[in-house]
Order: sequence, then C-alpha cells, then structure tokens
Amino acid sequence: MSKKSRSKLWFLVHSWLTLPIWFFVLIVCVTGTLAVVSQEIVWLATPEARATQPSDDAPLLTYEQVLTAIHKAEPALAVQSISRPDESHFALVASVVYSDGRSPSLYINPYTGAIQGESPSFNFQQFTRALHGWWLVPFTNGYSWGWYLVSFLGLPLLGSLITGLVVYKKFWKGFFKPNLRFNHGARIFWGDFHRLCGVWSIWFIAVISITGLWFLIQAFMFDNQISISTTGNPPVVARADVPIMPDGTPAPQISLDQAVKIAAEKIPGLEASFVSLPSNAYGHIEVGGPGWYPLLFQTADINPYNGVIEGSRMIADRSGLELVTESMRPLHTGDFGGLWVKLIWFFFGLVLSMMVLSGLLIWTKRTALATANALKRSNKPARVPVNTQTVTARSTQPEEANV
Amino acid sequence: MSKAAAVQPSSALGRWWLKWRFHINILLLLVPLAFMPKYFADASLFRGDSGLGEREIGTVQVGPWSLQLAELRNEAPRPDGPAGYMKSFNAALCKTCIDEVKATYLRIGKPRSLRAAGVIFFGTPYRMGATLPIPERTKADAELWITLEGWDGSMHQASIPLSEASPATIAWLAQQGGKR
Repeated sequence: MSKKSRSKLWFLVHSWLTLPIWFFVLIVCVTGTLAVVSQEIVWLATPEARATQPSDDAPLLTYEQVLTAIHKAEPALAVQSISRPDESHFALVASVVYSDGRSPSLYINPYTGAIQGESPSFNFQQFTRALHGWWLVPFTNGYSWGWYLVSFLGLPLLGSLITGLVVYKKFWKGFFKPNLRFNHGARIFWGDFHRLCGVWSIWFIAVISITGLWFLIQAFMFDNQISISTTGNPPVVARADVPIMPDGTPAPQISLDQAVKIAAEKIPGLEASFVSLPSNAYGHIEVGGPGWYPLLFQTADINPYNGVIEGSRMIADRSGLELVTESMRPLHTGDFGGLWVKLIWFFFGLVLSMMVLSGLLIWTKRTALATANALKRSNKPARVPVNTQTVTARSTQPEEANV
Repeated sequence: MSKAAAVQPSSALGRWWLKWRFHINILLLLVPLAFMPKYFADASLFRGDSGLGEREIGTVQVGPWSLQLAELRNEAPRPDGPAGYMKSFNAALCKTCIDEVKATYLRIGKPRSLRAAGVIFFGTPYRMGATLPIPERTKADAELWITLEGWDGSMHQASIPLSEASPATIAWLAQQGGKR
C-alpha cells in the first residue's frame, strides 16, 4: 500500500470512528463536563452549601466542636461522618440519620457549626455522575452494562486521537501557527476549529481516553474476580477491647479531635479532610485526607476505646501498580487540586464536546457529500473496476489539509 | 475498510445498516430515560425517604428489646462473585433500647455462640444494614436468627421463619432446587 493511500485509510478510519453513535458520544462528553463542576453548580444553586465566615477572624471549628454543635441543635441525630471539602468556600457536609431513618447530608457552617440545610432529595452531583458514569443502568450483578457501554468509548476516543495525529501532518506546527479562517465558509472554519482544538487538547484526550479505558479494565477485572489490591480485610476492633459496661450504657469513646491528633502523628502533614464515626460497636474511627501526593487519600483507623491505630492506608502502602491505577479516577475527574484544576478540566471538557460536534459538522459537509457523490457516480456505469473507483474517490475527496 | 465497501452495500444487511445506523443514537438515549424512574426510586430507598426497605417484615421482639426488620429489596438474593448469593436486610432498634444494645447480628440457623452470631449490622440504630450470605442449599423451612448483644454483656436471641423474612428468597430457593 502506498504512503498516500495508507494515510487516506487512516483518514477514513478517523472520519467514521463512532460516527453512528455521535450523539451518544456528545452527551457522554457534556455530562462528564458537567460532572466535573457539579459540586460548584450545587454551590451556586444552593446558598446552604456555602461557607460564610461570620467575621474575618472567625476560626474554623474542629471536628469535635462541629459534632457537639450538631448534637446541641439536634440531640437525636446520629452522625455518620463529617467531611471538609478542600475548597474553603464550601460548607462542611455531615452524613446523618434522623430517628425516622431518613439519611440525608447536612450542610454545616464550618465556623459556627450551624446546620444550614439538608441536601435536596434530587442530588445533582450524584445524578450527573451516574448519568455520565453508567448511563443510569443499575448495578445488579457486578458492574452495570451501562458502565461498560460508557467506558468502552475510551477506545474510539483514543483511536480518534491517534488517527487524527497521523492524518494531521506536522500537527505540532498548529501550536505555534494557529489557523482559524472565518471567511472561507463553514466547512473551512469547522475544519480549522477541529484541528486547532485537537492539537491543544492532545494531552486531555489522552488522559480522558486512557483513564476511561482503565474504568473498562477495572470493571472487567472486578467481574472476573481479578484483583491487584494490596488492601487486606477492613480491621475490626477486637472483642476484648470493647469494654463491658455493668450499667448497660455505651462505653465511652475518645473524641474526634483526639482521633485526628493521633492520626496526624502517624501521617505527617495530614490535613484531615474527613472523619467517619464507628459504624458499629466493633468499628473504628476513620480519619483521612490527602498526603504529599495530592491525587490519593491516606487514612488511619483508630480504635475508639483506646486510641490505638489499628489500620492505615498510606501512599507507601500502595504498590507501584496501585499508585498508577488509583490515580486514574482523580485524573479523569480533575478532582485533585482545587477549583483551578476543575476549571481546566471543565474547559477542555467543553472543547472535547465541541470536537465531537465540529467533527460531525465536517463529516456532514464533506464525507456525506463525497459519499453521496461517489454513490451517484458508481451507479451510472454498469460496472467499474475497483481500481478506477478508488482513484476517482481519491481525486474527488478533498485532502485533509484543504478541509 | 475501503471506501468502496462503505459506499456500495451489496448485502441487504449492509443496506439496512446504511439506512438505520444513526438511529442507534435514539436507542442509546432511550436507555437512561427508561432507567430514570428506577434510579430515583433507588436514590430515595438509599436515602431512607421511602422507608426502611422495599418490604417491611415488621417488629421482632428479642428478649427485652425489639427491632424493626425490612428487606432492602423485595427480590431474590443477588450473586456476589465468589462469595455466593447475598441478601441485604435493614433494621431499626426500638427507641428505648438504642443505648443498651451494643451489636445486632443476623444468621440463618441458630447460632451456637455469640462468636458465631452471623453477620453484624453496620450503620446507626435508626437505620442499619447487614448483608447475609444465602447458601443455595438452604432449606425452605430455615429460620432467620437475630442476636442482640447488650453493653452489659447480656445476649438475647429470637428467630422468624425465612419464609416470613423473605418470600422472594424462598421462591428463589425452590427454583434452585428445581435446577439441581
């Protein structure tokens, strides 16, 4: 095969990849883009989710102070966990259970401990993630087939990137000589737009497609009982460590602040971003937060009766392979470096959505036309040898550079 | 893939594909629309807005204490890889016994001791859950045993027929028997 026809083949592959499902791909891109900033959208739409500082010098409350404040306001409430989002403009989120069994999340002011409101029954964050992540298909036996459906798109996405770079000769020139022609008609404009967006989002498309493919592999491994995990079974508090109380009341436990302090001694530099209370009498207090490697959390399990650390998951506990695979999710979602990283992911998510759209526009304006033309031509003569056809098609097919 | 092949579908299948290929989009978009009611029903179930579980079993008296029991889902046990089939139950302790009960356990068949009381419930006394393995050879007249352990070291037990706790599981067991 000649060099030219080989690149034409690549071009055709690029043109037809995922084309029949273009709208599905577009919606997956758009919902993913929304999911990146879903927390921020909730912040904008829900005043209760914001952290307003009563005065400039008001200090942040500790976890134990927050817990005390919640119990003072609602003595019957059972608190399961308190988490502090890593951006200071968000209220704390406490996962609680009311005495009637309802278990919403509460927005807590981090300075006053006031319960500002309850998360609405429609959880926008979870909904966009479920729509993007598994197309709302329920998980009944292992991973849902919606998860496979969406994560499979990583393959054509990676294919589009590779074939796109192959057919876009000397693509690196596009970085420095951006070419966006506005007054040569729509096809020229969208072609320029598609290439310009493409070269600048090479890194992003690579990240999203590779991490997306990891989700596919992850589901496949889980459903086939293949595990690379080095985490053991979750620890339980030994029966002997749970005191027997002659008066029949619950045994006293260490405070959340003590637990955070103990964890900080084990995890230098730990800024505890969440604390989970024991989930039963044999459970641990779990304290966790990011460490020196911002993509992953480190956690410590503390015996609530004697304050001993009985389990922990540090960066160093992960195997090299786990460091890579556990980094996949934060890399995909852009949730590891605060608002600015999220905004970068959001921006390139929009660009990627526009790539799908502009690709389709180019296709309708060029490939569909060329295909229709070729079909017309081939219908006229009784039977044209295949060779001639190819030549005809090539000569009428606009070269990628002229699109 | 050559251009000629894409342009000239010779087979009926090829022509059909050419005509209908873009309609895959519509089918794909119907998927989340179809699952949306199920999604919101599940969200409400897990948030506790629609009760303790899909099917309330009722109140079970266990010694001086009592608890409310429910099937998380009114359906047959679900396969969970090599662990076998699992069935999830939810429970809520009576208001007066919340501070007295240390732990709640669930088991099929009578436990011989507290150490073999079965699976432990996780969560808060208002709403806690346990996932119980259901062996495929479980007898249809099996009993579900509830063990409550007190902070004072006391232990109380009670049982209800599995047929009362989960008719869907009994139906599933009957089917398993038919297969073997």
